[in-house]
Amino acid sequence: MREVSVIGVGMVPFAKYREKTLAEIGWPAVKAAIEDAGVEKRDIEAAYCGSALGGMMSGQRVLKQLGITGLPITNVENACSSSSSAFRQAYIAVAAGVYDMVLVLGVEKLTKFGGGTLPLEKEDFEVTHGLVMPALYGMRARRYMHDYGLTKEQLAQVAVKAHKHGAKNEDAQYRNEVTVEEVMEAREIAEPFTLLHCCPSGDGAAAVVIASAEKARQYTTKPVRVACSEVNSGKYVTGFRDMTTPEITVRGAKQAYEEAHIGPEDVDVAEVHDAFTIAELLYYEALGFCNKGDAAKLLEDGETSIGGRIPVNPSGGLLSKGHPIGATGAAQIVEVVRQLRGQAGNRQVDGAKVALTHCTGGGISGFDHGACSIHMFSV
Amino acid sequence: MAQSAEEMHEQPLLAGDAVRVETDGGAKLVGIVCGDCEAKVFPPVPVCPECMSENVSEIELSDQGSLYTWSVVHVAPKNWKVPYTAGYVDLPEGVRVFAHIVGADSDKLEMDMPMFLTTAVLGQDEAGPVESYAFTPVAK
Repeated sequence: MREVSVIGVGMVPFAKYREKTLAEIGWPAVKAAIEDAGVEKRDIEAAYCGSALGGMMSGQRVLKQLGITGLPITNVENACSSSSSAFRQAYIAVAAGVYDMVLVLGVEKLTKFGGGTLPLEKEDFEVTHGLVMPALYGMRARRYMHDYGLTKEQLAQVAVKAHKHGAKNEDAQYRNEVTVEEVMEAREIAEPFTLLHCCPSGDGAAAVVIASAEKARQYTTKPVRVACSEVNSGKYVTGFRDMTTPEITVRGAKQAYEEAHIGPEDVDVAEVHDAFTIAELLYYEALGFCNKGDAAKLLEDGETSIGGRIPVNPSGGLLSKGHPIGATGAAQIVEVVRQLRGQAGNRQVDGAKVALTHCTGGGISGFDHGACSIHMFSV
Repeated sequence: MAQSAEEMHEQPLLAGDAVRVETDGGAKLVGIVCGDCEAKVFPPVPVCPECMSENVSEIELSDQGSLYTWSVVHVAPKNWKVPYTAGYVDLPEGVRVFAHIVGADSDKLEMDMPMFLTTAVLGQDEAGPVESYAFTPVAK
């Protein structure tokens, strides 16, 4: 397998673009990534588009706006991991030598559903009985609070940290700081969560241009190396499972670290899937940033804030930057590439050399999660 | 004279094959046991997810279990009556069942407390009230 580099990134600010079509939301991200890479659109040999709810031919609908057509376009659906899974497919194609330069796109328009909780697959038994994503994470939170003594105040601190970071990100949907009291007093969604414990619904797009390392050197002296690329599906369990341990992330992280020959202690910055406050704490543990049960302490000690030992979600994460689900994986990659290039402005993690992105999702009966994707990057 | 099961439940219960209505109007949860690897699964499926055997047969599951976790849901699709409490109940067969928790204030719920099977109207759709199985705390 050949070495692969990221040479261009771009995104549109996550927001509610009710008046725009999916194609109108998507093309500026693609154009920005191509311009950032300094390549011509004819240099792009193939494209992979991740979207969970964008409908048929999301990639073609976006790319025709820029006349990027006639090339192989593959649309990838993997719930919240859609564009990170698309990135994985693109990576494999370049690493295997099939293509030298490929575009990855993530795009989503959730405002078309008019608000409320994310629409889930109605064939699923638990969904037919009233399972919604906030309840699923809320049940995880409740069990974790019981088993590890986590308090509601500590849980609220995750949202406080997310918004503190997001306030520095011009691509974030919410750029306001919040207090623990504001988090705890917001309207209730699914206990123990109030609105500010939950990622917002919204729209957005992000794009990445990757190339073989050899090709990348023609365009940049500072390529960002893809250190590993990993996608897993959850293990279906008919019986009891420990909901305080996200098994798919634990398993995926082990594989990712082995593939990259990098350990959790080497990671300088991470973007993780904080769809709800509890999720970020579970992933600190699953990704090996701290031991089981120590996540709240890691947060309280400031270790996961910008300036700490392992800053997590400097972009604001899903809670503050927003979560147009199919676009999230690509947007995480946009953020860490900016961090590794030293282009993250006033939210820059100083001296970041190794970055990790983690994107997981899909509420289906019997799974911790349906899909999970972990990528690592280095300079 | 006692009402028949059909009269007591205006619509078929939401859970379909996963719940069996008794002549007294009570309900039983139905799962499958695999004739080859003995895996037990809820709701019923035609093929065993452990060993792919289609030699599966229906079994009635226990009425009693323990509450693994729960959440009080305030925002949900419009057919549900909010707020409602949703939880996972672990049955002695080694099967975990997602269910609405009824008949108790949520602040009275406790981790791992014993629960008992019941039925309840959980919401409303175009055809009328939505009714299904649910769990309720065992009276102390």
